[in-house]
Amino acid sequence: MWLNTFNSFPLFLFIIIFVSVTHGFAQGETVRFVDGEGEILDEVEFILHENVVYLPFNTIKSVFDSEMTHSYYTPLKQLTINTKGKVIKVEMGKSSVIIDSSRQTETLTNPPRFIQGQPMLPIIFFQMVLPKLDDVTVIYKPELQRIRILKKSNLDSGVSDTNRTWTIIIDPGHGGEDDLGCKSQNGIFEKDIVLKVAKEMQMQCKNLGFAVQLTRDQDVKKSREQRFQYANRHQGQLYISLHCNASFSQNHKGIRLYLNNPYGMLRFRTAPIPIFGKKSLNIRTQANFLNQSKDFASVLQKELNFLSEDSIVLSEFPIITLNDVYMPAVLVELGYLSNTDDVARLSNPEHITELAQAVVHAIQLYSSKVDQSTKTNKDSEEDSSNINER
Amino acid sequence: MSAIRRIIHSRLFVIWGITLVTIVICLAVVLLLISHSKQTITQDAPPELPWQANPTDMLPDPKQVNLFILESDGLELTPIRVELRLYEDTTERIKQIISALVDETPTNYRNPIPRGTILNEVYIDTQKTAYLDFSHHLSDGQIGGTTAELLTVSAILKTVFDAMPEEIKHIQILIDGEEVETLAGHLNISQPMRF
Repeated sequence: MWLNTFNSFPLFLFIIIFVSVTHGFAQGETVRFVDGEGEILDEVEFILHENVVYLPFNTIKSVFDSEMTHSYYTPLKQLTINTKGKVIKVEMGKSSVIIDSSRQTETLTNPPRFIQGQPMLPIIFFQMVLPKLDDVTVIYKPELQRIRILKKSNLDSGVSDTNRTWTIIIDPGHGGEDDLGCKSQNGIFEKDIVLKVAKEMQMQCKNLGFAVQLTRDQDVKKSREQRFQYANRHQGQLYISLHCNASFSQNHKGIRLYLNNPYGMLRFRTAPIPIFGKKSLNIRTQANFLNQSKDFASVLQKELNFLSEDSIVLSEFPIITLNDVYMPAVLVELGYLSNTDDVARLSNPEHITELAQAVVHAIQLYSSKVDQSTKTNKDSEEDSSNINER
Repeated sequence: MSAIRRIIHSRLFVIWGITLVTIVICLAVVLLLISHSKQTITQDAPPELPWQANPTDMLPDPKQVNLFILESDGLELTPIRVELRLYEDTTERIKQIISALVDETPTNYRNPIPRGTILNEVYIDTQKTAYLDFSHHLSDGQIGGTTAELLTVSAILKTVFDAMPEEIKHIQILIDGEEVETLAGHLNISQPMRF
């Protein structure tokens, strides 16, 4: 009896290790779905089949439409999904998707499959089909296994209902022969990366109808004062200063956001002047816009979180880069040139486009939020004046 | 026989005598070496004290001071404890502490103060604000980036505030006797600051 136990012990141990290891792998492999606000909708375990990420079909229910219904006809291996008033038909092993109501057909690069006893949909299904069913944009970030489902109606077009055109000032830091900014070990300069991102942002913003001004659009030196004057003269509604970071530790990595607050984590000795106090002058300073800067920074933080492994850190310090601009302002440190992973990311044109896209999305979300509250205030003012007239 | 015994006895006496003398010489040599090495340690151990400036001062007792620097793979400044013979005078004490901070880089640590930086002078006003006048190396040696700049400024501030929490409430950094707006273009250091 004891002998048998001893003989079977290695087998027992192997089974325990095998089960724990395989179970561990299964648990770790998830896709995170987030909404337009950056909130997590669901974390769904996926199966990797021939290097394609497959998700259970009922993921649609948890991340897109809680009222989704389905039926599966086994002889034809056909899955029918009813969602958002439309009927979608897919066949296991076939790439075509029929969206019934409009007789529209989509062809996927990977077919749906019956895996582990249930119909599974490839990730491309979510990217291609969901935007056809509702007013959403789906963005997939494969290296982080994240999917974002963004409502298009949340995004402003640059010209608001109040007929105000938003002017965005983008400030690519450093520039010229003397002011290179920080430098990576493989010779990449901060001044070049920030200019690339700024130009990409400018293009995307213009396509959406925003007016965009760059404090420098080529490799030239601009003083801080010149940048501030330029921004104030163009009366921007947002000032975004782009920089790259560096540290003495190679482990510092990721995007960071900074706000100019002389009474933040490092505090100046002088007591704050009551700018809007009744007896004091209404002097325009960056401090007047701190709350608006915080609002924009928190929107931007959520947008950039989607691109980042770790949560983006937002800090408040006396930041001289934003000191004399009279509009909401944020300093965006796009990544560390002292970290090899960040340098690789910042050298990738796709990442540059994604970064610019995230900032532009944040501008859209913030501007529509501000416009909405302006409109609401205006409407309530009109209503109250109508009541008074009566 | 008695003559032979005498010879043996006298030989034994000589042998024992020689042995004892050798032991005594060895002990003397060892003691001399120990005392010499002790002298060397005591000469090197304390930092260079300005005896000429303070001829009447007694040698102060060593005190433990935290110097805030960065571990090579760390993300935050961490304190490393050193023993310094600190003066009573606050200005002199700040000079001693900052000099130790600038010089200190143990293995597996990175010093956020650029090499070659010298603390020229320290001024303290009535509001307990210390004005630390550094050489231009502090700004010239910056590697760029908001984080690096913050680490440099924070290392100085944390080290002084930790050593003198009551005596110093704010710190302003000067470069070669002048007020400066920033070290590397990101952080505003134009005014006295605290955490």
